[in-house]
Amino acid sequence: MTQPQNDTNQLPDELIENLIRSLEHTEDKECTCDEVYAVVDQYAEAEFRGEDVQRLMPLIKQHMELCHNCCEEYEALLDILEKNDPA
Amino acid sequence: MNARTNESWLEDLRTTGPVRDAALDDLHAIVSKGLPYALSRWLSPDDPLFTPLVEEVSQETLLRVLDQLDTFEGRSMFTTWVHKIAIRIALTELRRKRWQDSSLDELVDNEENPAPERLMADPQAGPETSTERADMLTRIRRILDEELTEKQRQALVLLGLQDLPMEEAARIMKTNRNALYKLLHDARLRLKRRLAAEDLNAQEVLSAFESR
Repeated sequence: MTQPQNDTNQLPDELIENLIRSLEHTEDKECTCDEVYAVVDQYAEAEFRGEDVQRLMPLIKQHMELCHNCCEEYEALLDILEKNDPA
Repeated sequence: MNARTNESWLEDLRTTGPVRDAALDDLHAIVSKGLPYALSRWLSPDDPLFTPLVEEVSQETLLRVLDQLDTFEGRSMFTTWVHKIAIRIALTELRRKRWQDSSLDELVDNEENPAPERLMADPQAGPETSTERADMLTRIRRILDEELTEKQRQALVLLGLQDLPMEEAARIMKTNRNALYKLLHDARLRLKRRLAAEDLNAQEVLSAFESR
């Protein structure tokens, strides 16, 4: 019997669980990090104005659910908009 | 500082002489004021790295803004676009530093202590684990072995097991963050389709995992 090409035995259970959890947000068509970066300023301003970003830019919202790094950058941008606001 | 419109920012930064210098000074002040808010989740303002980092990132941001000025499409305020660039520079640096520091800590720990438990963990289910959970884990591991490419598995190990930031994992794999995301998206899609072919969905698998 041939051995499988890959060996996932080194992957801990927790990582596999997280991977399976991420499948719930997985879609055939997803934005890439570059596509999100191109519009994250527009997205953060819309969120800051209280607009329904989930409806307006659903693919960006979906990417944020899956990409920790993009989500961190978006939240940092939102922090600046909120704390810089003189209102 | 005069409030500028997007158009006047572009106009002033594209000119030469004192008008451009004044615009750059104003932009530097805006970035330096905004960055501490963005960094507050990462670094205490009392940290000795804080002030030099803000200054270094502010300078690098101005260079990048001038370099990328023609790519600004006016879909946000100009200053929001500039903050976005500053954040990318700052967080990339902080992630890299945090990962390097934690790798160093782990290296020092390993000289005196055993490897972290999660790296030593027996991948087989322990005695406290239910049969249902153990069976499901075995089944999912087999699916992963059959579906994932070597590169996809490497990406999972680097990001999920070794906790590397995307940029660092991409560098090791001689690719970029965008391509790495696509690689993982392909992996997730393959798994999702395979589970569907086996009449499984993510929720069912997770339920079995929870049955300890």
